[in-house]
This record gives sequence, C-alpha cells and structure tokens, in this order.
Amino acid sequence: MSETNAAGPSTTHPGPARASATRTNTGRAITANIGDVLVSCRGLRKSFGDREVMKSIDFDMRAGDITVIIGRSGSGKSTLLRAIAGLTDPDDGEMVFDGEVVFADAKRTPAWKQVDSHVGMIFQSYTLWPHMDVLKNLTLAPRKRLGMSEREALGRAEKALAEVGMSDHIRSKPVQLSGGERQRVAIARALMMQPKLLLCDEITSALDPPVAAEVLDVLRRLKEEEGIAVALVTHDMAFASKAADRVVFFHEGEIAVNATPDEAFNHTNDPELKKFIEAVRF
Amino acid sequence: MNYQFDWSVVTSNFPRLLDGLLMTLEIAVVVIVLSMILAIPVAFLRMSNIEVVRWLAQIYIEIFRCTPLLVQLFWVYYALPTLTGITIPGTISAVIALTLNLTAFMAEAYRSGFQAVPPEQVEAGKMLRLSRVQQMRYIIVPQALKQQLPVILSLNISLFKDTALVSTIAVADLMFTANKISTESYRALEILTVAALMYFVIAFPASLILSKIERNLMMGSSVRKKKGLAVQMMPSGKVKVKP
Repeated sequence: MSETNAAGPSTTHPGPARASATRTNTGRAITANIGDVLVSCRGLRKSFGDREVMKSIDFDMRAGDITVIIGRSGSGKSTLLRAIAGLTDPDDGEMVFDGEVVFADAKRTPAWKQVDSHVGMIFQSYTLWPHMDVLKNLTLAPRKRLGMSEREALGRAEKALAEVGMSDHIRSKPVQLSGGERQRVAIARALMMQPKLLLCDEITSALDPPVAAEVLDVLRRLKEEEGIAVALVTHDMAFASKAADRVVFFHEGEIAVNATPDEAFNHTNDPELKKFIEAVRF
Repeated sequence: MNYQFDWSVVTSNFPRLLDGLLMTLEIAVVVIVLSMILAIPVAFLRMSNIEVVRWLAQIYIEIFRCTPLLVQLFWVYYALPTLTGITIPGTISAVIALTLNLTAFMAEAYRSGFQAVPPEQVEAGKMLRLSRVQQMRYIIVPQALKQQLPVILSLNISLFKDTALVSTIAVADLMFTANKISTESYRALEILTVAALMYFVIAFPASLILSKIERNLMMGSSVRKKKGLAVQMMPSGKVKVKP
C-alpha cells in the first residue's frame, strides 16, 4: 500500500551546516548533519483497548526537514507525534534518535534522557500557563531544567520572541493574547530549549486561515534559519505543498503514502489520499 | 420584656473573654496551618495509581466527612486514651480532632483543584522536561490553589467557628470561658452576645475577603471565556483582551 516508507532524499537545506552545536545541561549535543536521518521509527504499534491506532509504523525524519502529516481523525497521526515526543510509549517497535536507540522492548532506554530536551512539542489547545506572563512562561524551564541564569534566560527569551515576531508582548499574560499570538509564544517557549525537532499537533486548527498562515510561516523560517526539523500535523494543503519536504499520509493506523509534496499531491496512485485531498480542498 | 441589661459583667470579665478568644485563635491557626500542609500528601494519595493507597486515603476522608465533628472530638479525647493508654490533654485532643477533620475536607478541595488543571498544561511542562516535582510546584499547585481559594477560605472560616465545640472537652476557649462566666454571673444574654460578636468580628472580614476573591475569580473566568467582550464592557478596562 505504501508508495515509499523511507524518508527519501531531502529537497532543500539552506539552513546551518549542522543541526546542532549546543550542549545542554541535561544531555548531549546532536551530531546529525542537516539531511541526515534524525528520527527513525521501526514497527511502532500502539493500541488503546481493542483499537489499534498504530499498525507497525516505519517512519524516518531527516534533520532540518519539514514533514507534514495528514490523514483523517483517529488515523494515528497524533499518536505517532506523542510517541516520538515521549508522551506516549508504543506497545512495540523501536525508535532511534540521532543514531541512538531511545525506545526498544516497549520502554524508553537511558539514551532517551540524553536527547529528550532536543525534542519540543506544541499542542492544538493553548498550553501557555495562564498564571505566568510570557517571560515567565519562556524562562521557567531553561532556568529550572538547564540551570540558566536569569540574565541568560532573559536574553534567550528576547531572541526567541523576536524570532516569532512577539517581542512587544514579553510582559503580557496569555489571556491578553489572541489565538495566533498564543501559538507563536508557544513556539517561542519550545525554542527556549533549543530543540532540533519540533512536533506540532494541529497547532493551527483553531485559528483563522490568515493567522494560521502567519504561524506556519514562523515554522518555515525556523527550518530555513535555524535548521530545526518540524513534524506538523495539519490540514493546510497549501502550506504542505509549498513548504514541506515530505508529506506523510496516515490511513487507519498505517502510513499509506510517504512522498514529496509533488508526488503526494499530483502523482499519487493511492485512492484514499486522492479522496482525502479532494475532501480537504473542497 | 422586663429584662434589665447589666453590661458591667462584660467589662469586668472582658480580660477573661479575651484570653478565651486568644485560645480559640491559637487552636484555629495551628489547625489551619497543619491541615493545609497535611492535606497536600493526602490529596496525592487520593489520586494515587495504586488502588490500595487510593482506597485508604478515601476511607480516611469519608470517615471524617461523614461523622459529626463532636463525635470525632469526643472519640479522640475519651476513646483514644483507652486504646493507647495515654491520656491526651484537652487542647492537644482538640487540635488532633480538628486537624484530622479539616485535613479530610481540605484534601478533597486540593484534589479537585489539581484535577481541574488541563492535562495539556502538564504535558507542556513534560515537553519542556520539567521534573514531576517542578510540574507540581510551578504549574499545578499555583493554579489549583488559586482556583480552590474560595473553598479553602470557606473551610477555614467554618473551622474557626467549629472551634467552639472544644469547650465540651474543657478547653478554655472563648465559648468555654463565656459559658463559665454566664453560669457564674447568671448574665448569659450579655456574655453570650459579646462572645458571638467576638466570633463575628473575626469571621466577618474573612468572609468579606472571600466574597471579593470569588468576584475576582468569576470576573477572571468570564474574561477567559468571553475573550474580550466582558473586558470591553468593564468601566476600568485595565485588562485588554484581544478577540
């Protein structure tokens, strides 16, 4: 059924030569170069009760790539992201991150703790902590987890907010921000940990199309300027066709198509993907 | 009504009443502080993944929620020494019984607050690799306490009034002292009226603070739900929410 399950050749890599040069206080630096395989999943399975939501998923992601994941609700997209993020443990299978096995025999390996801070995730609902202002939202984890000084954390927060165009809102409370602004701050908060992989689970589904386009543009810039790999679950086909390096189509717990946007949208033979694209477009 | 008020009995016994009030306040403060601390682990035990632990916590909570405080007080003062062979002074018995009672109610308030924090906010903390303790300290507890503050304050006001029950085990609190002076002077009306006023003077400001906090919280939640509409209609307009 699958057209290809490999990550395939990466299309564009205008970002930095290496995916990472920074060592955090909680783990090791990433060694993968831009274009190298950063995440590799083999035979991932996950069931909730009687329902198998991932059926032996094989999936690769390259450093610096944008991978857009599409599919109907309940097809297993979010479960895959949560498995890569460490929020959900698959029942079976193996995951390799930056060349090290981080999940095997149905549990995380010690190597996961060495690399987990390089993985960031942003959710559909607004997960900014409402009792803290934007600055505190951004600096809490770097200060408490990475042991960063207040001054250093402030400097990094200012840089992260500038990257997402939110510099004017450093002292705002989340309740004072619009939906798009909150998602941009959520991206900035994830950037504070200097991730090399950003997992985005339907982060624009609650936003108006122009606001969603702004948020997605931030992700595109992060890939181009910072070399951050992005895995994005979205129904925005325009973004997928313009900015994605790979498009992955999930159908009933399996990866039915893993291809370039051109192959996926213009030359696919997969009947389910054709139906899905038609349904989303119209 | 032919009753002739004699307020001199109040003025002559006022220092004794103040001593009683001081004892009442001491018991209330100790019990409240102990309960607010002890209720945290009890709330966690109540949410434990281990079924036996969860059940034990729930049994404790239900026993103290579903039996009268007076019975609990008598049980600690009269029955517990029979079991342990140790005589417990009245004040200590009062503190033990009231603390066990308030902790049970407080633990349920905490649990409800902890569980009301959206799981996505905790997951966001996990993704930023905060430890479980850090998630609790910086994300869950502040939001839960803020949300449950009216309930916690309300429980504390009730506890302050319930301390009057300790007079039944001969603890010289305000109620015990007032009752004693009444018996000695046959001036129950004046003495008990002043005693009631003393309770009121302490509890009423706390009740006003509670109402203000509730109003602020309601306004805060309507701001979040209506996203700007409520704030735009507020005369002060200090907080501006974007739609």
